[in-house]
Amino acid sequence: MEQSLAVELRGVVKRRRRKKIGPIHLQIPQGYVVALVGSNGSGKSTMLKMIQRTLQPDEGDICWFGEAYAGELPLEVHQQLGYVGEVPESEESLMTAEEAARFRSRWYPAWDEERLQELLHRFEVPYHERLSRMSKGERRKFEIAATLATKPKLLLLDEPSSGLDPFAWKKLIDLLQDCLEEEDVTILLATHVIDEVKRLADYIVLVHQGQALGMIEKDQLFDSWREVWVRSAGVGMKGLPGVVVIREEGPSLSKLVVQEPHLDELEQVLENNGVQVLQTRSLELEEILELWMQGYPPAGLAGEAATYS
Amino acid sequence: MWIPIQINENSAEPLYHQIESQLKSLIVSGQIEEGTLLPSIREFASGLKCSVITVRRVYQDLENEGLLRTKQGTGTFVAKVSSQERDEYREAVVLKALEAAIDAAKSLNYDEEELIRLFMQIMEQRYKAT
Repeated sequence: MEQSLAVELRGVVKRRRRKKIGPIHLQIPQGYVVALVGSNGSGKSTMLKMIQRTLQPDEGDICWFGEAYAGELPLEVHQQLGYVGEVPESEESLMTAEEAARFRSRWYPAWDEERLQELLHRFEVPYHERLSRMSKGERRKFEIAATLATKPKLLLLDEPSSGLDPFAWKKLIDLLQDCLEEEDVTILLATHVIDEVKRLADYIVLVHQGQALGMIEKDQLFDSWREVWVRSAGVGMKGLPGVVVIREEGPSLSKLVVQEPHLDELEQVLENNGVQVLQTRSLELEEILELWMQGYPPAGLAGEAATYS
Repeated sequence: MWIPIQINENSAEPLYHQIESQLKSLIVSGQIEEGTLLPSIREFASGLKCSVITVRRVYQDLENEGLLRTKQGTGTFVAKVSSQERDEYREAVVLKALEAAIDAAKSLNYDEEELIRLFMQIMEQRYKAT
């Protein structure tokens, strides 16, 4: 990738009592939205915390905007990172939104008070309420607004929409969209919400059992498989190009999952054997990710990333 | 500006092709007029639920074909479509529809004479009425 990188992980390892995360190799291109997806406990949050540098990796290097730093991360770099965690920090709980904002603003020279006010208004967050008295969703909206007020260049979001009602969710998506439009921001988000991936992401990274299994452009991922329904019982997998799953769904009805690049070839083979194709459709994201976790990576996974998996 | 593109998520046709061919026909058919400012890449991608990479590729392709032009700092506009291109497009659309109709007839074992008779019948109905 010739493009400049917002962040790069090189062989990053973090050992936990029960499990090991990494070694992770990952390159996040600047100006894009990258979604980290994967099951609970797969290591997404740990990755984000290491990138925010609230956790130190045990091995490997992380580069921010092209530079690695030994020891402490310089303040100027920290100031360019925005992070919204899964659980809000408890230190601020007794403060009102206003007090917490004033406290935070001292650490960020680029702090944009006008923007904060606008966002809190847009999100309908009570400004003079103590954070501990807010609902989960209100608190989260405050966190997001206060993070965006720091004008981050790299925005790390850990399940940003958890606790948000559908209306606030929509506002959040629009808001992030506006940020991407107007500023040179890179977004790395961990999420379970498929619609969030569809609406926001440019690239998708599958995190599975502490490993990043690779990064792929979203549309390429969606185009990587096809499901072919055929009228025939007991179709053998032998000689069917690119087919990885075959299932009988009823009397003389079978479902084949085929790698998209082999689709034409498969249809030819089926036709030659007198097997009737009833329907062809693409797979849902969940199905694609499931296949990937089972060891069937999408076709066209970047060569470098694929070798790490 | 909202561009009426319909993505069929279940189509076997790649997303990129769907967007490009639909946008192209909207431009060539004149449904989007010359000089129209298209949405920014990010905005369009969000609306279509695809990545900015795909939209950028579509814009670049259509720009190379002369259907779009990009002004630095302002955005991407619809370029002028020559009348020749428009005629070619019209013919291509009608040809495709006729071919589909003839294929349907063939698969149902219509012979040439029967089909011509039907064709003339429909022509009479549609063109006489107006």
